[in-house]
Amino acid sequence: MSAPKRAPRPGFVLDVDRSTPPTLMWHGEGFRLEKFPVGTRVIYAPEPVNPLVDPRGAIRHALANPVGDSQPLASLLFSGMKLTIAFDDISLPLPPMERPDIRQMIIEEVLDQAATAGVDDVELIAALALHRRMTEAELRHAVGDRVYDAFAPSGRLYNHDAEDPDGMVFLGETKHGEKVQFSKRAAESDLLVYVNINLVAMNGGWKSTATGLAGYQGIRHHHNPDTLRASKSIMDKDNSKFHDINWRMGTVIREAGVKIFQIESTINNDAFPSSMNFLQKREWEWNARDRASFVALSKTLDRVPSRTKRGIFHATKAPHKMTSVQAGEVEAVHELTIAQVHKQQLVRVEGQTDILTMGLPYIGPYNVNSIMNPVLVMCLGLGYFFNLYRKKPLVREGGVLIMSHPTPWEFHPVHHPSYIDFFEQVLADTTDPSTMEAKYEKQYAEDEWYRHLYRTSYAYHGVHPFYMWYWGSHALEHLGKVIIVGGDPKSVRRLGFTPASTMRDALEMASDVVGRDPSITHLHNPPIFMCEVD
Amino acid sequence: MKALRYHRKPVKYAASRLASSLRTGSGAAYGPLDLSEPKELALPSAEWVRVRPQLSGICGSDLATVEGRSSRWFEPIVSFPFVPGHEIMALDSNDRRVVIEPALGCVSRGITPPCHWCASGNLGRCERITFGCLRPGLQSGFCADTGGGWATEMVAHPSQLHAVPDELSDLDAVMIEPAACGIHAAMSAGSLDGAVVAVIGAGTLGVLTVSALSTWNRPAHLIVGAKYPEQIRAARAGGATEVVETNGLLRAVRRTVGCLAVGDGDLERLAGGADVVFDCVGSGASIDNALRMTRPGGRIVLVGMAGPTNIDLTPLWHREVALAGAYAYGTEPFLNGRRTFDAAIELAGTAQLGRLVSATYPLERYTEALDHAANAGKRGAIKVAFDLRAQPKRTTLTKEPSA
Amino acid sequence: MAGGSERLTGLSERLKERVGRKLFDADVESGISAMLRRGPLGTGVGAASAKLMPRQLRMFPFTKASWPGSVPRDPSRSELQMNYDTEWARDPWALALRRGLTEGLLRPGVGVLASPSIQGLDRLDGVNGPVIFAANHQSHLDIFLVLASVPLRFRKKIVIVAAADYFFDTKFKATLSALGLGAIPIDRKKVSRTSSDRALEVLRDGWSLVVFPEGSRSPDGWASEFKPGTAFLSTRTNLPVVPIHLEGTGRLLPRGKNIPKRGNTAVTFGLPLHPEPDEDPRKMNVRIETAIAELADEEANGWWQARRNAASGDTPKLQGPAVTSWRKEWLLTEQEKRHDKVKRSWP
Repeated sequence: MSAPKRAPRPGFVLDVDRSTPPTLMWHGEGFRLEKFPVGTRVIYAPEPVNPLVDPRGAIRHALANPVGDSQPLASLLFSGMKLTIAFDDISLPLPPMERPDIRQMIIEEVLDQAATAGVDDVELIAALALHRRMTEAELRHAVGDRVYDAFAPSGRLYNHDAEDPDGMVFLGETKHGEKVQFSKRAAESDLLVYVNINLVAMNGGWKSTATGLAGYQGIRHHHNPDTLRASKSIMDKDNSKFHDINWRMGTVIREAGVKIFQIESTINNDAFPSSMNFLQKREWEWNARDRASFVALSKTLDRVPSRTKRGIFHATKAPHKMTSVQAGEVEAVHELTIAQVHKQQLVRVEGQTDILTMGLPYIGPYNVNSIMNPVLVMCLGLGYFFNLYRKKPLVREGGVLIMSHPTPWEFHPVHHPSYIDFFEQVLADTTDPSTMEAKYEKQYAEDEWYRHLYRTSYAYHGVHPFYMWYWGSHALEHLGKVIIVGGDPKSVRRLGFTPASTMRDALEMASDVVGRDPSITHLHNPPIFMCEVD
Repeated sequence: MKALRYHRKPVKYAASRLASSLRTGSGAAYGPLDLSEPKELALPSAEWVRVRPQLSGICGSDLATVEGRSSRWFEPIVSFPFVPGHEIMALDSNDRRVVIEPALGCVSRGITPPCHWCASGNLGRCERITFGCLRPGLQSGFCADTGGGWATEMVAHPSQLHAVPDELSDLDAVMIEPAACGIHAAMSAGSLDGAVVAVIGAGTLGVLTVSALSTWNRPAHLIVGAKYPEQIRAARAGGATEVVETNGLLRAVRRTVGCLAVGDGDLERLAGGADVVFDCVGSGASIDNALRMTRPGGRIVLVGMAGPTNIDLTPLWHREVALAGAYAYGTEPFLNGRRTFDAAIELAGTAQLGRLVSATYPLERYTEALDHAANAGKRGAIKVAFDLRAQPKRTTLTKEPSA
Repeated sequence: MAGGSERLTGLSERLKERVGRKLFDADVESGISAMLRRGPLGTGVGAASAKLMPRQLRMFPFTKASWPGSVPRDPSRSELQMNYDTEWARDPWALALRRGLTEGLLRPGVGVLASPSIQGLDRLDGVNGPVIFAANHQSHLDIFLVLASVPLRFRKKIVIVAAADYFFDTKFKATLSALGLGAIPIDRKKVSRTSSDRALEVLRDGWSLVVFPEGSRSPDGWASEFKPGTAFLSTRTNLPVVPIHLEGTGRLLPRGKNIPKRGNTAVTFGLPLHPEPDEDPRKMNVRIETAIAELADEEANGWWQARRNAASGDTPKLQGPAVTSWRKEWLLTEQEKRHDKVKRSWP
């Protein structure tokens, strides 16, 4: 007599009226409950798509039935070949998923087939581009202990090193003169298998390899203010100059003879374990347990130091489940992937808004097991959440973005050394992406110490904070004002934004820009979703 | 005449030391400093003249004395009781504004022929400061026979007097002596073309050193570590290319030089570093900090008065760093032998140094004044001075409009 | 802390007055937010929060959130009401517990409170299998009265079809209804597949059903229109419907009262009605209603008079005469007079 399994509900837009309960917002490693003015639209994400019942079976099926002009994986493997498996790094998915990680499941399947075919020369590369290297624990989590123990001790499982002078090659130039820099091992392999987890529509496709296995000399062609300003948005491949360049580079990679077998997977947005279930439920549907866990958690967070708070959250693993997996030729695969991502994440919204509000969580792609520093706050809000749209930005041109995050003046010295200097030197001088690109980028990109830390420690590349800032270029140009609620005033001002102590103050300040009777829209995350704005 | 006099009273000295160690700035109230009306000083020789101090600054070395933290080094080269104060703008007998160059060299002591330093105009290096017609005293303001600036009257040798140009305000003029110290320190580094220079501390001396460096030496990068907002503003106005908070200075130097460093993200010390570091704080910690950020073969100029400290000099040895002091003034080879004081007078005008005087007090409120000076940074001040002009009832934090 | 938040609230009140704008329509945000950020627990859970934040403690998230007006309620999402799964309440242990309650507490209780006089049980002789009991409905006591009156062979395996929106709207009530009464939820507002499927399933499992075809308790003492759901179940399962007429419960515990008074009641069982081959449930529904009306007539006027009225088509309608206004109520008072003497349970 149990009820039939319900179909997940699509995302929807709530109009706030007097009976609407306060809305839950992220506030870094904490929450806030805000009662929005009557008439505010609150956009809720679609519910998690039902996952694949048998993910390993689905992987096997995908490898045997590739899309595009690709042969099945088994027929591409032969004895004596050089096989390289590259996989997405720690920035995906968010939060990191419970074991087994999808990468582990896929890689194990690929390796099984390689073993069957008698392939001896196999190397595995974490395609982290200019991100920090993954630690042993993180690699073990991503690829699983079995793979790690088989390949890491002999040095055949390693982090991509974009600054290794002997490890990088140039494959050529695109017709626009962009240099294509690539991992030498990957370029020299008979087959490059790329294992991806596609969290948002920006990931995957040629970006996986053209960015993930490249270095500064290649990446700078698309990670720059001009490109990112012309990418509207970076989450919409077809209207993104950023993706155009990556795709152009992909053509060069293909024409250089690099054979790629792309495996992409999508996950549902079931991002938090049941103890934090309230994060993914609509407030009026919270049951007693949700409310109790919310109150208990927020009280705990009030009373513990920020270290402990981070510990609590970063220990959380997401129960993400695989919703699709497809393999074969990069572009054909990616079309299917994007359709799946849209199925999970797309919410239709009517019309733009004057004020867009959002709560920023404790985590972004670049602070897994780390600190969300002010630069990353900017990037998460203006780079990621702002760009999660198709057609038109959710907020109108000249509108106001209000974000909620404590924005502490705090940096992870090991992971983000160049961020500290960027924040103290570059942002003290300018917040304009083009100005800083011209004036400072080279200095940071070529700094010997940053390079050393990137290669040997666990530091993001020296130029990375610039990319974080460029990521927000489109938003910086589009928005009339950015307000951070509850942020450390000193660091918020350094970012060039306006600090506000309460949401009400922020709305008051916003009225200077958008008038006394603005339309307000709130992005209710988690989970992550994407708006199609008509 | 009214004067603040400093006596040799060991018990009171100990009391001031204790008090200041409990709360910075409280030493004056318990120390051997008193306000009295002593009889007129005798002229040490016929050449000497009487002058009436009008504005008299409170210097770091004065504070060290008053707070009971001065070095034993000075004991043989001062004579008690003395009237402190050597940053002096005074009126001479013709009511002409003069600044006093306080160093007491052979000429003022009536010693002929002068020592070779004095002969070359480098009075600060005079080898006869305990001899001649004066009792021991390295400067006016530390000598029982000359009096000092913290009094309504003192005596001076005509060679010490520099006329104040009319375009300078009184406040600009009182900054000339400390400016000369800053200039002397800066000029000691010689040419800094293309160099990366770090300045630790942005109190009076720090800011003045920065001004001098940016005026004459013009290093490629002049990075200042300052502690308080007012200091940061002053250092920026003084021409620093970058001003950071003191604890970020090591990192700022590293990113400017682009060198490697020891430490995984958190910096312990630099592998390379700045070409020249000016330590304008003068504590063990600041010298230690300077040693971490100076490149091998580089130079540290000790501008602040250090006193006894405990520091590990291994890097000095290992990296062949030169640690040089910079005291007072004389003539500047880098400025083609120009007298430091002349350069200081020029700088006081061009850089409007009077802006650095944050507060003036009448002599009667000396405990307050010294407290303010000892906590200048915290209280948003740079230079605190006594105002001895006609009306002594001046309140704090009033700035004279520039003339 | 309290002072702070009160000041905040006070400030917002003043601002609201002065500006009087839409932006300030939202009211309690500052209080809650401030509390959640800084927390009244800084000084200990109990006293501090109770003393400082009584108002907040009565609000979300400490209590359930209000349902936004613009969001339609989607009952299929809930685990309550129609979606409440009562299967566990038919497990042996639950059944044993319920037997104990029924025999040890319910029947004696009903005996004392309602002193039912039970008639027509002989009409059920020979009927053993699952049946559908259909009764008129005036009071919550009806359920207990029926449970106490049906013969033991049915009582052992019986479920009540109860309004999902009333008996299953909270977890507590749903659990109690399922366990104590053996109730299963039914959607009385519309015919839904779920409710009929569930009832059919239970019937096929060999359970008897108690149904109140009116759907809800009578508002005025006269019956409401019968809904054809009971007949539908019967035609689908080919199981007989046993009509029951209940008299007097409306006086003991009328709609709107919470505490019952003692009094006399009558329970009259009718002959089981079997569905005719391919009978339209609506047609059978009329038969059920007529049967209960005849039982009512029998209870009031005696079996013979009732039969005569039935033969001549003069059986009084359960819904009362086709008159309106006060006369309907007036007629009810006549019936009451006949029952004004309470029969004592013991001397």
